[in-house]
Amino acid sequence: MSLSTVNAGAALADQLRKQSEQDAAVTPIDAVLDAARAQNLTGDQCFRLLARLWTLKRMMYYVYGGWAQGINLNEYPPAVAYLFGKQIYDESTQEMQLCDEILRRRWARTQKQLFAHSYAQFGTATRTGAYIFCLRALANYPQNIRIAALNLGPKVIELAWTERFAKLFPDEAVHALFQSQLAETRSHVLMGKLQVERFVQKEVDIELARRLCVETRRDYLFFLEEAARFVLGMEEEKPGEVTVSGDID
Amino acid sequence: MPGLRIDHEKCTECRMCYVVCREININAVVVSPTSQHLLEIDGRCTYPKCTVCLMYCPAEGSIVEADTGRSLVPPPPEVWTEDLRWPRQP
Repeated sequence: MSLSTVNAGAALADQLRKQSEQDAAVTPIDAVLDAARAQNLTGDQCFRLLARLWTLKRMMYYVYGGWAQGINLNEYPPAVAYLFGKQIYDESTQEMQLCDEILRRRWARTQKQLFAHSYAQFGTATRTGAYIFCLRALANYPQNIRIAALNLGPKVIELAWTERFAKLFPDEAVHALFQSQLAETRSHVLMGKLQVERFVQKEVDIELARRLCVETRRDYLFFLEEAARFVLGMEEEKPGEVTVSGDID
Repeated sequence: MPGLRIDHEKCTECRMCYVVCREININAVVVSPTSQHLLEIDGRCTYPKCTVCLMYCPAEGSIVEADTGRSLVPPPPEVWTEDLRWPRQP
């Protein structure tokens, strides 16, 4: 479909979201949900799940810190900065919730112990690291482009699997945790739609957004793959074993 | 039952209580699993032995005694004293 219509941003937002929804239909982390529904997920594996998600959420501080430095004065109306602030606050809330649940169950006694726990380590040479550094590198792009790449890419996938976990995860507390995060994550997708519709119009920006969205989606799916394997105690992937379609051009 | 309760009519959700409670490893302030994600105080709260959240709460009346509903922000003198305001190791 040609994007050279009156509102090219609206067409782009629609296109990016649909592409991401295709990737979101089934994700690697759904294997964890399947195991939980089959009563095959132990307490330790549940701890692993929350710890990996917590690790990713807390690394978003690092990502957004870099992005915040790249919001140029007067480049966008205040709404853009406001929505960005809201997104940071929401990610922080979700990070706090994951940590809360781990501490409540005494899987770690203190936050300090949790930071030091092997399940919650951030490794640079990992899929988690690759995804985080991919996002951090978006600091070099304008805010409208990186919001297009994240909020209409990985956020769409995150929303989809979170909806499934919120609906079907058998553990009551974990189920409630995911359920409570839905509105925030959905709002991030909608914030992405608004910003792309309003502020991505130039052909070069559209191409950049499209390309970067494919990359961030791919790296997020790799993160989910790594997290699922870790939770389920599967072997780490062998080189070339995991492939994600990521045709950019 | 926790000794303290948050009055959501007055709380600004600044999260200072959460941060200081986590900082001293009591972890009694939690994010509620609802869409609003309000802060709540759970049974791990050791009030009146610990009053650290009261020291940092900026919103008058937003933390109250659970039993009586008495406002503890700003802390009354008998609650917020030099030797009571910071907890011993839990």
